Amino acid sequence: MLKRMALAILLLGLAPTLTVAHGPTRQKVTETIEINAPPEKVWAVIGNFQDMSWHPAFTKTEGTGANDQGATRKLTLASGATIDEVLTVFNAEGRTYSYEISKVDVKVVPVTNYSSRISVTSAGDKSTVEWRGAFYRGYVNNDPPPELSDEAAVKAITGVYKDGLAALKKKVEAGG
Amino acid sequence: MSRFSIFVVAALVFLPPQHARAAEAVITNQLGDSVSILNTATMTVAAEIKIGGKPAGVALSYDKSHAYVTAPDSGELAEVDLKQNVVARRIKLGSGPLGVAAHPTKPEVYVADWYVHKIIVIDTVALKPVAEVSVGQSPSGLAVTPDGKLLLSADRDSNAVSIIDIETRTVTATVPVGERPFGLTVDRTGHRAYTANVGSNDVTVVDIASRAVVGTATVGRRPYAVALAQGRAFVTDQNAGTISVFDTASFKLTDTIEACDHPEGIQANAYESALFIACWGDDVVLRLDAATLEITARANVGGGPRAFGRFLR
Repeated sequence: MLKRMALAILLLGLAPTLTVAHGPTRQKVTETIEINAPPEKVWAVIGNFQDMSWHPAFTKTEGTGANDQGATRKLTLASGATIDEVLTVFNAEGRTYSYEISKVDVKVVPVTNYSSRISVTSAGDKSTVEWRGAFYRGYVNNDPPPELSDEAAVKAITGVYKDGLAALKKKVEAGG
Repeated sequence: MSRFSIFVVAALVFLPPQHARAAEAVITNQLGDSVSILNTATMTVAAEIKIGGKPAGVALSYDKSHAYVTAPDSGELAEVDLKQNVVARRIKLGSGPLGVAAHPTKPEVYVADWYVHKIIVIDTVALKPVAEVSVGQSPSGLAVTPDGKLLLSADRDSNAVSIIDIETRTVTATVPVGERPFGLTVDRTGHRAYTANVGSNDVTVVDIASRAVVGTATVGRRPYAVALAQGRAFVTDQNAGTISVFDTASFKLTDTIEACDHPEGIQANAYESALFIACWGDDVVLRLDAATLEITARANVGGGPRAFGRFLR
């Protein structure tokens, strides 16, 4: 098992094209949460690409380009590991933005070719936040080790979304 | 049997297959592990057929009686009987079958293997591999010219298109295109091929006879596949959620249509009046009017539809 994992990591490290290559089946995760506040209030918290402080997993957001298309940010986790992301679509009127991970170690987030969209919509006098992700597993060839499988990728992203949305709800409902 | 019923049976037997049933789309649902048979006139699903192995690629036999579906996770090719709507046969092929195309006049299909960088030629009478052709890295989209002479392969990780002579099973040319070509479409006359380049966010237009690039059109983020109708190319931009439309004479972008979450497989109907688009993120198929560029209908299908190939009958 360890040997196989070491080999996997070695292979991932060696091949320069692997940030683009991927396994055969793209996975998806959609998580939603209802928040007892109008959409403007929710968007005021999440509608800044340069500020992910509402998500408990990230200790720091550093970036450039504000909310312009092509803006970048580096998210730092409690472990010190980082995730580089790029903003692909920002629509303030529609209260939605889309972004992609441009660089992450699969040992930190076991996914490749990750893209995502977060959006806030009105639901009566409340809001619904939807967070969608599309990605491939961390291991790009056949027979992935369990920690880099399709299931591991879906589990990791589902956890990130659930934790983030729960914290967002708490923060906004407590008054932002 | 009365003379009248013999006449009826004879008439049914000799009717061309496209008249026997309504126009349909064969949609591979990769996450749903199934194929949806969609009536494209009513936009309702007639059947959902279990496939397994995360089906992605699709091609229809020359007589449109069967669909050939690749299942990359199980390394299989499944043959779907479209009269009975059942899986008729299946064979284990290799490590990662993905793209698939059918010959226009004979019982032969071609399957691209993503991991071993080969095209496998399948005789569909026996449903057995009869030849292999080595191409570039990670062959993806495949298409056959309408005269049945050439097979083209988008070799994704070589940034090139391989042109294969079908009779001799040899690569006769390799044409460099944009970065990471995935979907590949040959026009109705067999003159040009279009590749959707996932890495460079553009489409390369290749003149097949001269093996030369004649144009490049910039499109939306991470293009997946190209369809052609009424002198325009329609491109599914996966990450932008849009359809980019460009003029096939000038290669100028004319329209960007908001479509859905991860539009992927796309094909124009025989009249070029409408396009059908599989939306991977929304689990729907859209119908787009080729003239007005309006989305005129949507149908729910299985999970994660990709419909990678020519899926309309």
